[in-house]
Amino acid sequence: MHIPDGFLDGKTAVAGGILAAAGLGVALRQARLHLPPRRVPLLGLAAAFVFAAQMINFPVAGGTSGHLIGAVLAAVLLGPSGAVIVISAVLIVQCLMFADGGISALGANIFNMGVLGGVGGWAIYRVVGRLVKGLFGLILAASFAAWCSTVLGAAACAGELAASHTAPWSVVLPAMAGIHMLIGIGEGLITGLVLAAIARARPELLRPDAATEPRRSYGAIVAYGVSIALGLALFASPLASRWPDGLDRTAERLGFKAKAVATSIPAVLPDYEMPGIHWSVLGTSIAGALGTVVVFVLAWLLARVLVPMADPPDSTGPGTAS
Amino acid sequence: MSAAIEVRNLHFRYGEGTHALHGVSFSIAEGESVGLIGPNGAGKSTLLLHLNGLLPEVWTGEPSVLVGGNPVTPGTALEVRRKVGLLFQDANDQLFCPTVFEDVAFGPQQLGLSEAEIRERVTRALAHAGIPGFEARAPHHLSVGEKRRVCLAGVLACEPSILALDEPTSSLDPKGRRELKELLRGITLTKLIATHDLELVVELCSRVILLDGGAVAAQGPTLALLSDEELMLRHNLERPHILRHLHPH
Amino acid sequence: MRHDFLDRYSRLDSPVHRAPAAVKLVVALALVVTVVLLPSSRAVALAAATIVVLAAAALSRIPWRFLVRRVVVLEPFVLGVAILALFQPGGWRLFLFLVAKCTFGLLVMVLLSNTTPFSDLLRVLKGAHAPALLVTTLSLMYRYLFVLVDEAQRMKRARASRTFTPRRTWAWQTMATVVSQLFVRSSERAERIYAAMCARGWR
Repeated sequence: MHIPDGFLDGKTAVAGGILAAAGLGVALRQARLHLPPRRVPLLGLAAAFVFAAQMINFPVAGGTSGHLIGAVLAAVLLGPSGAVIVISAVLIVQCLMFADGGISALGANIFNMGVLGGVGGWAIYRVVGRLVKGLFGLILAASFAAWCSTVLGAAACAGELAASHTAPWSVVLPAMAGIHMLIGIGEGLITGLVLAAIARARPELLRPDAATEPRRSYGAIVAYGVSIALGLALFASPLASRWPDGLDRTAERLGFKAKAVATSIPAVLPDYEMPGIHWSVLGTSIAGALGTVVVFVLAWLLARVLVPMADPPDSTGPGTAS
Repeated sequence: MSAAIEVRNLHFRYGEGTHALHGVSFSIAEGESVGLIGPNGAGKSTLLLHLNGLLPEVWTGEPSVLVGGNPVTPGTALEVRRKVGLLFQDANDQLFCPTVFEDVAFGPQQLGLSEAEIRERVTRALAHAGIPGFEARAPHHLSVGEKRRVCLAGVLACEPSILALDEPTSSLDPKGRRELKELLRGITLTKLIATHDLELVVELCSRVILLDGGAVAAQGPTLALLSDEELMLRHNLERPHILRHLHPH
Repeated sequence: MRHDFLDRYSRLDSPVHRAPAAVKLVVALALVVTVVLLPSSRAVALAAATIVVLAAAALSRIPWRFLVRRVVVLEPFVLGVAILALFQPGGWRLFLFLVAKCTFGLLVMVLLSNTTPFSDLLRVLKGAHAPALLVTTLSLMYRYLFVLVDEAQRMKRARASRTFTPRRTWAWQTMATVVSQLFVRSSERAERIYAAMCARGWR
């Protein structure tokens, strides 16, 4: 999902940059205020860890393999601000050292994978985790949230490409979101497997105090929420603007027809003139909604497999410590 | 004249309850070169971490370690770290900056020295460690031996009066080992060397402390102790080959 | 390999290598931004910029085959997304221009990263008053990247030498265990690094 240089136009790149700077700024401030000094090296090592983990091949079929992105994994282990810092560091190094991801697209990439993927994913993880307790709940919440974060990031990426007129929204959203709904399954699966393994080896690393911030930092939550909402509004606006476009054109045609024919034409005609625009986006949204339910069930099954019911409920879990 | 290092009845227990050190007592005079030997898990590394205040993490009761006559307490820890230069076992853990220069300069920087002084100390320390001109090198391009020398330079740049080394020759090839040995021989600071390398101890240390199970099992002159075959075997060590042809005193 | 780990050309000696890192970073950014903002009609400007960059590449004494290989390895994603551009009026022209712009960007960044050691770029960031925590994180990340990738390789190899069935499900479990071990070891190493930093006076 690393957008290279040249795909985003000026305004989108700048918007992405501002949102990324805001999100990263909040994260750094949170860490500066709440991260104990002995955990400072952990951020750097975690960034190196995410980078190394991203290089590990998970074989899929016929030579292709899946890879971890790790935003939600980082958020579970380090808290949302830690995740933002770590993912940003990874993206910066990948861009400057390996030309992976354009330098003009760095802001957008950080927003998609770090802020939206990391904080958005973490929020989903917390909500689900509050509903289901224990290690089982943690694995379920984290795997599901990892899938969601992948799809959200891809949707934002699609929005940015569409906003830059690089590709039409009706094509790029189904393509990117669709592909990432599949890729996201890998991300969810790997995240769940890794967390289960860490829980077996060193459960104390999953305790909330491994995170970078206290559990109630409302200021930061508000700031993140605002930047994510802004981002979605900016980049998902093609979704909203397509409707007026479609309606405008329909009205035009109606107007033309009205000139030639009587005025007693029903006001709402099905938009069969533009099948590509509406239906593909609508179709993707429906697929997304269905996918969410399916993946939630899959995540439940995964957690069931990884956390044998014989274990007594223990206190590791996102919802239990408040 | 107070001893360079004095340890009195040091006890230490890790959080989970493992009792790592039991009443360890010894003292090291200024300029002495002492070896710290013992089987794996004896507590050698743990003991070294007490010498510059990194352990214990939670302080209770009387201070058990005195450096240059002054007790090591949370208040004096920073001062003690200037005096006691600790070389860790894994060079990768200690060499944490992106270039050699920045890493060796780390200590002097923390001391608040000026740019010019820092530069001078780094040059001198690198020369002392036998790797002059390494300033611009990146750590991931260095060999194990070179990394260890950089760590040594980083410690020397702080100009300590006591050097505590944890397994300095581990993972080195024979040549690297010989060179490090000569290097250490040339450093006249008070030295405490924790090591499995018994030949090194024979060549560099006049006295030896044998640690086993967190307690001092024996201490005394190197040749006498290391030639005591029965004592060595009892503590999972052995009499070094170099002494096979010498008569114990 | 998507990432070149040997980092063998960033410390060569050439006029490009010797140029100050800040200058190279700013120039690279300026070049990329200018080209990104170019409308499709300005093919000539793009060609001119490309010639400048190719000249710099020649000056840098980095083997051509290496540079080309680095760019080619990153092309698939570019092509994959650029293909989506075909689905609109004027698609072919846009597609070609996109691929040209992206490839130009890749070339600039590959050249930058191979003529400038990352530690120099870090120093530029520090000088530009980037937040201290971010610089420390980047610094430690750069330092331990290679160590961790190495560790991961060794663990993979150790696992592979005890794997006798090619079952894919087992492979996922194995790899997940390697990743988890990597994190556990990294967090332990972070503690030791903290101790080493304190031992040399860090506050």
